[in-house]
Amino acid sequence: MSVEKSASGDVALKIERRWAAVSILIIAFLTGMAAYAGIHQAVMPQTTVEIINPTTLHMTGEFIESNLGSALEPDGSVTVRAVAQQYSFTPACIVVPKDTPITLRATSADVVHGLLIQQTNVNTMLVPGYVSVQTAKFEETGEHLMPCQEFCSVGHEGMWAKVQVIDKPQFLAMASNKRRLSCAE
Amino acid sequence: MSIEKTPASNRAWASASIAIAAVLFMSSSILGLVVLPSVQGTDPFTNLWDSICSAAGLPRRASSTDPVEPDHKISRVVLSTMPKAEADSVGRGATIALQCAICHGPTGVSRADSPNLAGQYAVAIYKQLEDFRSGARSSAVMSPFAANLSDQDIRDVAAYYAYLPSVPTNHASTAGVPAIVAYGAPLRGIAPCGSCHGSVENKAGSPWLGGQPSAYITAQLNAFAVGIRTNDTSQQMRNIARQMSKDEIAQAAEYYASLNPDGL
Amino acid sequence: MLNSRRLIIAHFWVAFSVFGLALILGAWQMFIRSPLASWLGNPEWYYRSVTAHGTIMGYVFPTLVAMGFGYAITETSLKTDLIGRRWAWAGLGLVVLGAVTAMVPVSLGKASVLYTFYPPMIGNPFYYIGVVMVVVGSWIWVALMSVNLIVWKKRNPGAVVPLAMYANVAGSYLWGWTAVGAALELLLQIIPVALGLRTTIDAGLARVFFSWTLHAIVYFWLMPTYIAYYTIVPRAIGGRLYSDSMARISFSLFLVVAMPIGIHHTFADPQVGAGFKFIHSAFTAVVALPTLLTVFTICASVEIAGRLRGGKGPFGWLATLPWRNPAMLAIAFSFLMLGFGGAGGLINMSYQLDSSIHNTQWITGHFHLIFGGAIVIMYFVIAYDLWPHLTGRAIASMSLVRLQLWLWFIGMIVTTFPWHYVGILGMPRRMAYYDYSNPALSDEAAPVVMSAIGGFILLASGLLFLFILVRSHFERRIEPGQYTYAQAAHAVTRVPAALNAHGLWVALMVALTITNYGLPIMQLAVRDDTSVPAVFVGERR
Repeated sequence: MSVEKSASGDVALKIERRWAAVSILIIAFLTGMAAYAGIHQAVMPQTTVEIINPTTLHMTGEFIESNLGSALEPDGSVTVRAVAQQYSFTPACIVVPKDTPITLRATSADVVHGLLIQQTNVNTMLVPGYVSVQTAKFEETGEHLMPCQEFCSVGHEGMWAKVQVIDKPQFLAMASNKRRLSCAE
Repeated sequence: MSIEKTPASNRAWASASIAIAAVLFMSSSILGLVVLPSVQGTDPFTNLWDSICSAAGLPRRASSTDPVEPDHKISRVVLSTMPKAEADSVGRGATIALQCAICHGPTGVSRADSPNLAGQYAVAIYKQLEDFRSGARSSAVMSPFAANLSDQDIRDVAAYYAYLPSVPTNHASTAGVPAIVAYGAPLRGIAPCGSCHGSVENKAGSPWLGGQPSAYITAQLNAFAVGIRTNDTSQQMRNIARQMSKDEIAQAAEYYASLNPDGL
Repeated sequence: MLNSRRLIIAHFWVAFSVFGLALILGAWQMFIRSPLASWLGNPEWYYRSVTAHGTIMGYVFPTLVAMGFGYAITETSLKTDLIGRRWAWAGLGLVVLGAVTAMVPVSLGKASVLYTFYPPMIGNPFYYIGVVMVVVGSWIWVALMSVNLIVWKKRNPGAVVPLAMYANVAGSYLWGWTAVGAALELLLQIIPVALGLRTTIDAGLARVFFSWTLHAIVYFWLMPTYIAYYTIVPRAIGGRLYSDSMARISFSLFLVVAMPIGIHHTFADPQVGAGFKFIHSAFTAVVALPTLLTVFTICASVEIAGRLRGGKGPFGWLATLPWRNPAMLAIAFSFLMLGFGGAGGLINMSYQLDSSIHNTQWITGHFHLIFGGAIVIMYFVIAYDLWPHLTGRAIASMSLVRLQLWLWFIGMIVTTFPWHYVGILGMPRRMAYYDYSNPALSDEAAPVVMSAIGGFILLASGLLFLFILVRSHFERRIEPGQYTYAQAAHAVTRVPAALNAHGLWVALMVALTITNYGLPIMQLAVRDDTSVPAVFVGERR
């Protein structure tokens, strides 16, 4: 930078540079924080871009109606599959055990929707043609609302589902006689 | 004032800023594409190159591992593939529709609590007939009829009824509309009926309800609610019917039936 | 040297009239979805209104302000007649024609898709065509800014480009390039489907294209505000610009780093790889740099004003600042809102924190605070500052001006703070009504009422703003003298060529767009199995 060679100009230049350095440090700190969180905490974006044909969801593949809901995996974790469509989620009530790693797999059958479980970090867009994957763990039992968070045309205001977090033994008991669970019926 | 325009100064600015941009991009790329995916370790693709491709967003086809198969026949109708009706479709449909007249009325307006078909959306008729034919929806009366129709027949019948003038509907004031129809019940996941069924907006496959017999609407909502009828795509209608109270079902049915001024 | 007065006034009046209309819609929306109103019998009216409000406030209003201000800067800072005045009128005509074309289907309820488009929902083609016309009209302005600067440089070899013009042209280049994303989405994807030439569309790719525009457009909105910070406010309050070169560096940096960061809007999307989300997140952090530099330079410039007026000690200069001067008042409000909004922005840019507030009311609160608050309040200052020079008449009443600015600030805080709060509670955005009677949502009722009240305060302030401008057309005639810009504290003797031209920065902007967007776009664009059927809106009986 070239400014007038004067004493006050020099001082100004020095202060400017110091402030610029401070700014750069702030930014480095922020980026470092994001990287640190990415390494040490599980909340990171889904690892893979998965595509799927939204027009045949109801006929074939993992998002067929009878395969939706919560599934107990061999490793003890739970996979929840859900479909969003104008203007509901299926299952309209999701049931999950507490203190268990949950993998949520969801997609849209028509337009862009969003899935947000209140009081949690579960929050993802559902774009037709792509599968959204998010992991979660619920630490307390109780009920959460799960509204659609993206405008999906005129019935958007009526698109609310529920999530019930229940005790693990209760969930396991339910899972022993049914392979896909929900609290919709 | 003057411009510092020495080649050296220019070069210094250019190379410094390009270098900073390059370093920023390279370091964030290495962190984002290589380091983070590998320490996360949740990636199903084991080798480094695969995990870089994943992090870069290379699309992969979703794998379906052993889904639970349904215990009932599911609808095979893909609603988006309905082509435009051919010109002579309506005429052919009129001939086929002669056998429908006994229940659905000669002009598509029923006198027997069967649905009115006159002016109905073609896609809605097409979907239901296809589902009757495939067994995704069953009815002692309709299933045998549908079994004898070809795909083209179904398109023709749908085109014919869509072409007929619809049931006259009087435009009831908003005041008379029951809350469940006008507003739905948001936190029970019920959107306003009209947001699919046509008065606010029509969604492909959803029928026009104005003037339909009350008994028919009630019966279908109940059938959706208890899961006797399952041909709605991904439980679209069951999700709603399950949440409606008996009173709300009655109110909605009465309201839609009342939109037929002739009281047929 | 302000000879294109009619052109500039025309831009401002169109901008502020549509702003007034959109403000009325906004206040109505705040009211209708609050517990104060009964539920809308037809929710489509709400979405229709949001589409109109967003389209006007996002695409038409700030673009026209930037265009009008840009023409004013060209004539006043270069001290020459605007070259291509006819083209400028044509550009304005195209923007107006486009806005009307877009608004007709919207007001008929044929395109209630919201201003973010979000295919596969598809509305009436004229809505999208209208938006494209608005953009093309503004591109005429981009070209004119470039031509005027080039011609001036040829006529004045070796002269330093005035800071205001340097920043103005940087802003125009930023807009020219950032609008390309939405233009590609509209021209290649949406309009062919809307016209019935194709039936499928890649919804994920469309969102990536839109994110290209979505973030940098905010910096385009911000440009007139930053130009006002650097070149109007210090002069208006009797201070000096602390550093001319720091200002140039800030504007150059905006040009470079406003662009390659848009994917942070798609953090929660399934169609973008995690790696690119991280890269954009890192670049998003860098975009804070020019803002931090600006905060420093402007605070220092204001401090100079305070000290020149006799302020002593570490904080004494604050007391001696000309607080009754609208420019002083507005920049203080603007900085406060920028500070709060920026703090919120830091939360949005972090993937981990974003997931708790993504697409909730927090986001609406955030961008209203930044754009409607920090940015638009400086648009008011620009208008008040230029008006006497454009009309040759005094501003009607300074106390009304102060009242208007106070109301806008208070209104914006009262509107957006509760908005942020309900966002944290998980209240989703863009819904026509909410069931506040349900115990799960009853906590949200009171804050929503509060923000609706804020909406009405904002409406009052906006109408007062229009009233002051109208009345000023009928005030006593004055001789406003020459329009000037802030002087630097330390006379600028030499400016590096890189900070006197835009070539290097435009090149970096394009290069970083290619590196940061090339792959995410290409890997979706080359596939045909990611397209999904369009869902047409507006079909009813």
